[in-house]
Amino acid sequence: MSETILELKNIHKSFGTNSIHRGINLTLKKGESLGLLGGSGTGKSVLLRSIIGLERIDQGEILFHGERFDHLKETLLTPYRIKISYSFQSGALFDSVNVFENIAYPLFEHTRFSYQQIKDKVAEMLKLIDLPGREHVMPSDLSGGMQKRVGMARAMILNPEVVLYDEPTAGLDPANTLNVIALMQRFKNQGLASIFVTHDIPSALSLCDRIVVLHEGKIIFNDTPEKFEKSDDPIVNKFNLSSKD
Amino acid sequence: MKATYQNFIDQRIIKAREFFIFVAEIFELFFNTLKYTFSGPFYFSRLMEQITQLGFGSVSLTIVIGLTMGLVMTLNFGYGLTKFGGTLYVPAVVSLSLAREMAPLFTSLLVAGRVGSGIAAEIGAMNVTQQVDAIRALGTSPIRVLVVPRFWALVISLPLLSALSFAVGIIGGMIVCRAEFDILPGFYLFKVFSTVKFHDYMSGIVKSAVFAGIITIIACYKGLKTRDGTKGVGISTTWVVVTASILILVTDFFISKIFLVIWH
Repeated sequence: MSETILELKNIHKSFGTNSIHRGINLTLKKGESLGLLGGSGTGKSVLLRSIIGLERIDQGEILFHGERFDHLKETLLTPYRIKISYSFQSGALFDSVNVFENIAYPLFEHTRFSYQQIKDKVAEMLKLIDLPGREHVMPSDLSGGMQKRVGMARAMILNPEVVLYDEPTAGLDPANTLNVIALMQRFKNQGLASIFVTHDIPSALSLCDRIVVLHEGKIIFNDTPEKFEKSDDPIVNKFNLSSKD
Repeated sequence: MKATYQNFIDQRIIKAREFFIFVAEIFELFFNTLKYTFSGPFYFSRLMEQITQLGFGSVSLTIVIGLTMGLVMTLNFGYGLTKFGGTLYVPAVVSLSLAREMAPLFTSLLVAGRVGSGIAAEIGAMNVTQQVDAIRALGTSPIRVLVVPRFWALVISLPLLSALSFAVGIIGGMIVCRAEFDILPGFYLFKVFSTVKFHDYMSGIVKSAVFAGIITIIACYKGLKTRDGTKGVGISTTWVVVTASILILVTDFFISKIFLVIWH
C-alpha cells in the first residue's frame, strides 16, 4: 500500500454564518489523482485554498507526510507551499511580466540556480506544455488555454509532490480541454499526486484514480471511477447523468 | 426608543472596533515592511524599477507644481508686502514657506494623487485577479515582493522631488521678483540662501519622507484589501487618495510643531 502524503482530518470552515465544510476527512496517496466533484458553491475551491493555507480552517488538521501544518504562521508555510503547488482556475499569471519571468519566478525565489540553468529549465518546461519558444510573450497575448498551461508550468517548475488543480478545464473549448488533460496526464505519469477540482466529469473519470463528491459540506462519495459510475446514490447519480448528456 | 438608542450605540461600537482594527493593520503592515526589508532577500532591481516608475515618472508634475507655487506665492506676497514697504522681504518669506511647508506638502499631495492611486489600482487589480494569492501560493510574501520596493522607492524619491519642487519654486519666485518688483536675481538668491537654514531644508526632507511612507503604506494596504472586482479597484483608489491626503495634512501639523520645538 502506497504512502499517504496528504491528510485532512475533520475540516470545518465557515464564512460568517455560512458553513462550508462540516467535518471533511480525506487522504491522498503518493502518485494518486483524486477528482473532487460537487455542485457550485459546495466549497471545492475553498478546500484547495485551505490545504495551501490561502484560507484558514476553523477546526481540524491538515497533515503533509504526517506533519501538521495548517496552524503555522504564513512565513512558516513556505516549505509546504513548495511541495504542494496550486494551479489557479484563471492561471493567475503576473500580467506585468512575460511568460519566462512567470515560470521562472519560483526558481528565482527558492533556488540558487544560475540564470542559464533557470533559462534552460523554463525552456524545457515550455516544451513540455507545448509552448516552446514563447518565453518573451506577455500573458495578455496568450489564449485562455495557453494561460492555464503556463500557470500549470509555473506550479510544476519546483517539482512539487502534490498539485492542486482548481478547475483547469473551465471555460476551455474541447481541443484546449484535451490539451490540458493530456498535460495533467503527463504530470501524473511522472508520479505527481493531485487533487483535481472540476465540473468536467468525463475528464475526471479518465484521469483520476479516485472520485470524491462533496455535498452540503460533507463527503458523500469517495471511491473509484468505476464505482462512481455504478453508484445508486441519487446525488452521485445526478453527476453521472450530467456527464452522459 | 430604547431599542433604537441601543442600536445606535451598538453601531458606534462596531465602527470604533473597525477603526481600531484598521489602525492596527496599518501599523502591522508598516512594521512587517521594515521587518522584510532587513531580513531575507531584498529586490534591488524591483526597487530601481519602482524609483523609475514612481519617482522619475513624477518629475514633470513636480516641476509644474514647484514653478506654479513660486510664481503665485511671490506675486501675492509681493503685492501684499509692497503696501507696507516690505518688498525686500519677499525672497525670505517665499523661500522659507517653500522649504518648510509648501514644497513638501503640495508635492506630497499631488504625488499621493498620482502614485497612491496608481499603487492601489495596481495591487488591487492583482488582488482581484488572484495574482496576490499566486505570490502567496508560490511560497513568497506579497509584502516583500510588492510593498517593500514601493515603500523604499517613494521614501527615497519624494524628498528628492520636494527638493526639486523647492528649487523650481525659487526660480519661479526669482522671475516674478525681477519682472514685477525690480529685485535683482543676485540679491534675491543672496536673501534666499541667507534666510533658509539647514533645519528648514531638513524639515522639508523629513516631512516628505514621512509623507512617502504614509502614501505607500495606505495605498498598499488598500490594494491588498481590495475585493469585488473592478468596482472594488475604483473604490480603493478613491479611498487611498482621500485618506492619504487627510493623513498628510494632519501629520504635517505635528511634524511642523516637532521641528519648531527642536530648532527654536
